[in-house]
Amino acid sequence: MPGPSGDRLIRVDMTQQSVEITAFPDDWKLLGGRALSARILLEECDAGCEPLGPDNVLVMAPGVISGTAAPTSGRISIGGKSPLTGGIKEANAGGDPGQDLMKLGYRAVIVTGQPADSDKRYAVDVTAEGASVKEVPDCKGMWNYALIEHLAKSYSKDASFVSIGPAGELQLTGSSVACTDGDKERRPARHAARGGLGAVMGSKGLKYLSVETGKARLRDPANRKEFLARGKTYTKAYREGPQMFKHGTSTVVPMANMLNTFPYKNRTEGQSPDVETLDGARIVESFEERGGEMHNCMTGCIVQCSNIVHDAEGNYKTSALEFETLTLLGANCAIASWEDVADLDRLCDEIGLDTVETGAAIAVYMDSGGMEFGDAEGAKALLKEIAEGTELGKMIGSGAVATGKKRGHKRVPAVKGQAIPAWDPRPLKATGVTYCTSPMGADHTAGLIVNPGLPEEEFARASQESQLVNAVCDSSGFCQFLQPSLDDIRAFYGDLYGEEVSRQQIADLGWQCLQDEWEFNRRAGLTSADDVMADCMQVDAIGPQQVVFDVSAEIVAQAYERCELRDELFTANATG
Amino acid sequence: MPAMPLVRIPAPYRGPTRGAERVEVEGSTVRGCVQAVADAFPGFGEQVFDAVGDVHRFVTLFVNGVEIDRDAIDEPIEASDEVEVLAAIAGG
Repeated sequence: MPGPSGDRLIRVDMTQQSVEITAFPDDWKLLGGRALSARILLEECDAGCEPLGPDNVLVMAPGVISGTAAPTSGRISIGGKSPLTGGIKEANAGGDPGQDLMKLGYRAVIVTGQPADSDKRYAVDVTAEGASVKEVPDCKGMWNYALIEHLAKSYSKDASFVSIGPAGELQLTGSSVACTDGDKERRPARHAARGGLGAVMGSKGLKYLSVETGKARLRDPANRKEFLARGKTYTKAYREGPQMFKHGTSTVVPMANMLNTFPYKNRTEGQSPDVETLDGARIVESFEERGGEMHNCMTGCIVQCSNIVHDAEGNYKTSALEFETLTLLGANCAIASWEDVADLDRLCDEIGLDTVETGAAIAVYMDSGGMEFGDAEGAKALLKEIAEGTELGKMIGSGAVATGKKRGHKRVPAVKGQAIPAWDPRPLKATGVTYCTSPMGADHTAGLIVNPGLPEEEFARASQESQLVNAVCDSSGFCQFLQPSLDDIRAFYGDLYGEEVSRQQIADLGWQCLQDEWEFNRRAGLTSADDVMADCMQVDAIGPQQVVFDVSAEIVAQAYERCELRDELFTANATG
Repeated sequence: MPAMPLVRIPAPYRGPTRGAERVEVEGSTVRGCVQAVADAFPGFGEQVFDAVGDVHRFVTLFVNGVEIDRDAIDEPIEASDEVEVLAAIAGG
């Protein structure tokens, strides 16, 4: 059996509001998700373009394995030139749009151009028959949940959606792209958050994209029996193992605090006194009295790391309340209660904001004297100002660097314009090397190394290997929390297409993805001068060891020199 | 030389062990082995046990690849056994 073939690309021209369906090149069959987005952007996007202008290209690309019966394999990559970093960006999300696009054989949606009237809003509807653009004036300005409830009246109950909230429509550089999850409620709680791609989508007048699969079935691998058997074995092994994320990433809080990577008050400290009240264990404990539960965000997920969080009255409040959000909107702002962070998380999902960037911006604002640390109600009011488009709201909604500039505040923890996530580069120096060298800027999902005992001479290799593994994972459709290895991924690819994928090939796929992205950034004008850790991380010491990020530029630069392949590269787990 | 239990250290906990991934120790129980590592590498014990000596909720312990109940950490183990400390190391 030949495996999936006849795949297509959906090309949407927002200047003309027209669609063209083109063939997907056969020799790209092992490109998906992040690697596919990178290749399309390198070949079709002028890297020197204005990120919010007509020449930027927005890509929505599921992974190579998406749309099949492989477990936890429906992740989607949203890509483009980032208005936040000025370089290439890939933001990865769960939910069902990735699965659904691939079930229909669409390897990517490529959105170009810009409507002449920036006040108009449009949608793209994707079905088995093709795709079309339509004007949706009634959706303008809608918050994400209200939008999906509105759309549910006119689409099938199985439709999935990719959307932006008011922040994206205002083209704010801290805005996210929302994807609906796999539950029947289709909540817009899965966000391709980092790098301001919501603003790029907004700059193209695109409010949402729908996918209706109709009677489309899962994709048929070439070696169907072997593929299904492999999935079963993998799932069995996973379920018999420790299932590290069965209670969600929010339960990582106490361990992160112990390792001095639970930043407090704009990263002036590495531990928070509020660790108990921000611990995800409190969320899990709330399930008994209030309802709520763990669930899978996408069809076919076996990890179920996403939480559904209820309020004290037992009503749904938010879902996917994760470690990064509890850190950046919680500890980093000295907001002590997980319940307040849940409110903030819901607001971010509604308005369409990156919780990491927004939390970092609010902390900078607090640190500059704009409001008191710990003012949860004040933070909620700020988010509402973002949706209203006030001057203060636009500042916060544009992220930590913009907020720092406007406030004349020096302590702004960011790399390449993007706020540093919870995993702190001072105790985790190899992760700091990732923040400096990743094409994405400060992004822990690009290559996270939590190994405080690692000797300095191994930082560059550890970062490079982690970046390569995660690039392949984010191209495959597999979720990083499934933690597949390169050997796992190439085995599934092999059964999908009926041909062996060697270790060399899978490593080359990851390396080429990084090369494509570094080349795009070079063309966009980024240089080694941009590979620099935020000043405050080099100067402000934290923890009992009083650590700073003091890795030399020479060692950082070594992450660009391709290391010899070793066994550990292929057996290491993706992690983010 | 008589066999000694081996304790495998997860990457996030290798700060106190100065990068050591596995440590051979003298110990006849899981608790004894972990304590032996803590005695050799100050700071390690606090990463596994809380203030009252219970295993942190976010830590999982294995003996020879099989997860053990946290109540079983004082049960005897063999000199040839391998103890693994596991902790969730990622979060988005």
